[in-house]
Amino acid sequence: MVIKNTVESIQQKAAEMRRDVIEMGYAAGERGAHFGPALSSIEIVASLFFGIMHHDPGNPYMAERDRFVLSKGHACLSYYSALVEAGYISKEQMYTFKADNSFLAGHPSLNMDYGLEVSTGSLGNGFAIACGMAKAAKIKQEPHNVYCVVGDGECNEGLIWEAVMNAAKNKLDNLIAIVDRNGVQLAGKTSDIMDLDVEAAWKAFGWEVLVVKEGNDVTSMIEALEKMKKSSSGKPHVIIAHTVKGKGISFMEDSLNWHARAMGKEHYDQAVSDLDQAKQEENK
Amino acid sequence: MNKAPLDRLQEWSKQGHRTALGESLVMLGEKKPNMCTVTADLTPTARLTQFKEIFPERFFDVGIAEQNLIDFSAGMAKEGLLVFAVAMSAIVPMRCAEQMRVALGYMNLNVKVIGIEAGLRFGPLGNTHYAMDDIAVVRVIPNFTIITPSDPLQVYKALSAAAEHEGPVYIRLTGGPDFPILYPEDFDFQIGKAIEYREGSDIAFISSGSLLAEAINAAELLQSKGISARIIDMHTIKPLDTDMLDKVFSENSLVVTVEEHSSIGGLGSAVAEYKAGVANAPKQIMASLGDSFKKLGDHAFHLKDNGLTAPDLVALVEANL
Repeated sequence: MVIKNTVESIQQKAAEMRRDVIEMGYAAGERGAHFGPALSSIEIVASLFFGIMHHDPGNPYMAERDRFVLSKGHACLSYYSALVEAGYISKEQMYTFKADNSFLAGHPSLNMDYGLEVSTGSLGNGFAIACGMAKAAKIKQEPHNVYCVVGDGECNEGLIWEAVMNAAKNKLDNLIAIVDRNGVQLAGKTSDIMDLDVEAAWKAFGWEVLVVKEGNDVTSMIEALEKMKKSSSGKPHVIIAHTVKGKGISFMEDSLNWHARAMGKEHYDQAVSDLDQAKQEENK
Repeated sequence: MNKAPLDRLQEWSKQGHRTALGESLVMLGEKKPNMCTVTADLTPTARLTQFKEIFPERFFDVGIAEQNLIDFSAGMAKEGLLVFAVAMSAIVPMRCAEQMRVALGYMNLNVKVIGIEAGLRFGPLGNTHYAMDDIAVVRVIPNFTIITPSDPLQVYKALSAAAEHEGPVYIRLTGGPDFPILYPEDFDFQIGKAIEYREGSDIAFISSGSLLAEAINAAELLQSKGISARIIDMHTIKPLDTDMLDKVFSENSLVVTVEEHSSIGGLGSAVAEYKAGVANAPKQIMASLGDSFKKLGDHAFHLKDNGLTAPDLVALVEANL
C-alpha cells in the first residue's frame, strides 16, 4: 500500500497543477483553453507522474522511462502542469501556453526535450499509437510500462476499438489505459451524445477492467494503478476513473460551459479564490 | 542486401509486384533485425506468408483495421523499430490520411507504408478498389516521401532505399503479372534522383510506375517517325527532382507526363506546379486517368479506355507538336 506521505505529496502536486492550469488558461487570454477536461484528469496525471511512473526530468530520453501518452490531447493543460511541477518545463515557459511561436500548443506536440512523448489532439490516435509503443517494448523485451489517458467521449471513435481489440490480441499487459470518465463531452453529456457502457465494452474486448469511483481521489487512483501494475492477468489494463469535469473550480464543475473557452478576470479571481480556499482546508 | 537479386527478376516479372514485394521484405528482414512487417489481413494477398514464417516474432496482423495499422506501426516506430505497413493502395492513403498525417508526417516517424495494386490494377473489382487518388492524398502531408517503382528490380531498390531513409515513406506499387523488366542489370537508385532512362532531343516523357513501359514503347514508335523522345523515370514523386526538370525544360520542346493516377494531385500536377515558376518552360500535356470514376475492365482495357497505351501516347504527341 501507498504510504501516507506519498499520497499527501501527490495531493500537493495536484493542487499546484490545478493552479498551473488556471494560470496557463488565463494567460492564453482570448485564445482560451480546455479547462474542464484538464481539471477532471489532474489526479490521474498527478498520480502517474508523482507516484507511479519511472521517469527522470533531468533525462527525458532515458530509455527505461515509463511512457505517458495523453490521448485526449485537448486536456493538455493537465499534462503541461505535471511537466511544470516535475521540472521538464519552466514556469516562464509555462506562461507561453498558446502564445505565438510557443512549443505549448492547444494540443501536445512531440518534443522529447520537454517530456512531450507523442503528438495528440486528433482523438483516438494517441491511444492506438500507445498500443504500438507497448508492443515495441514487448518486442525489444524492455520492462517499462506505457500509460495512456483516454477520454470517455473519445471512446466514440472507431479507432479506439480497433486498437482495443488489437491490444488484447497482443496481450499488452505492459499497457495501462485510464479512461477519464467525466461524463461530459464537447456538446453535452456523454449519456446524451453517445450512451456507452464503457466498462462492459472494454471488458467485452478482453481487457482487465477496474472501476475507480473517485477518480479525483489520489489514494484511490494510486491503489488502482498499483493493482494494475502488479496484476498477473496477462491482459492489457484499463482503469475507468469516474471524475468530475472542471474539478476544483466551483463554477466549472460538471458544467457544459467550461469544456473549452476563454476566461476573464472575474472568473480567474473566483478560480484562484476556490483554489486558495481548498488549500486552507487541506492545511487544517 | 547490397547485391541486387537479379536471379529473381524473371519470376518477379512473371508474378508481378506483390511477389517482388514479399521476397524483398524477406531479404530486408534478414539484413535488418529491427525491421517489422505489419499488415491488415492481407498476408497471402501481399505475399507476406514467407516473411511471417521466417520472422514470426516480427510479423503482425492487426485485422481489417487500416487506421490502426498506421497508428500501431507509428507507435512501434516511435520506439525505434523500422516498420513496413502493407495494405491496399485503394484503401490506405485515403482511409488513413489522418493517421498518416498525424502519426507519421507530424511526428516524422520511420514507417514505410506500402500500397499494393495501385492504379487500376484491380480492374474487375470496381471503383472501390481503384487507387487513383493515393499520390494526391499523400503529397499534401509534410515529411512524406513518395516512391512509385517502375519495374521488378526497382521495387526491390525502392524498398531497400526506403529502409535506409529516416522518416515516413509511401511506396506505390503498380505492375501486375507480366510486369516488364526495364532494369535487367543493377543500377544506381537514389530517392529524389530521377533517372534519364533514354536520351531524346525533341519531346520528353516523364513517367513512373508501370506506365513507364508504355512511355518507352511510345518513344520507340516515335523514333520510327523521326521524333526523338527523352524518357525520364521520375520514380520519386516527392521530393521531386527539380534539377532533372530544369534540364528537361531547357532542352525539350514538349513535356508529356504519363501516370496511372488522377490528373489532380499526382505526378503531372507535381511537375506542373514546379513548371509554373520556370520562365519559358515548354508546354506540358498530362496523360492520366483524368478526373472521373472508371468503367469495369481488366488493366489492358483500362489503358485503352483512358488513352494510356503507347500508340495513344504517340497520337497525343503528334497532335501537340
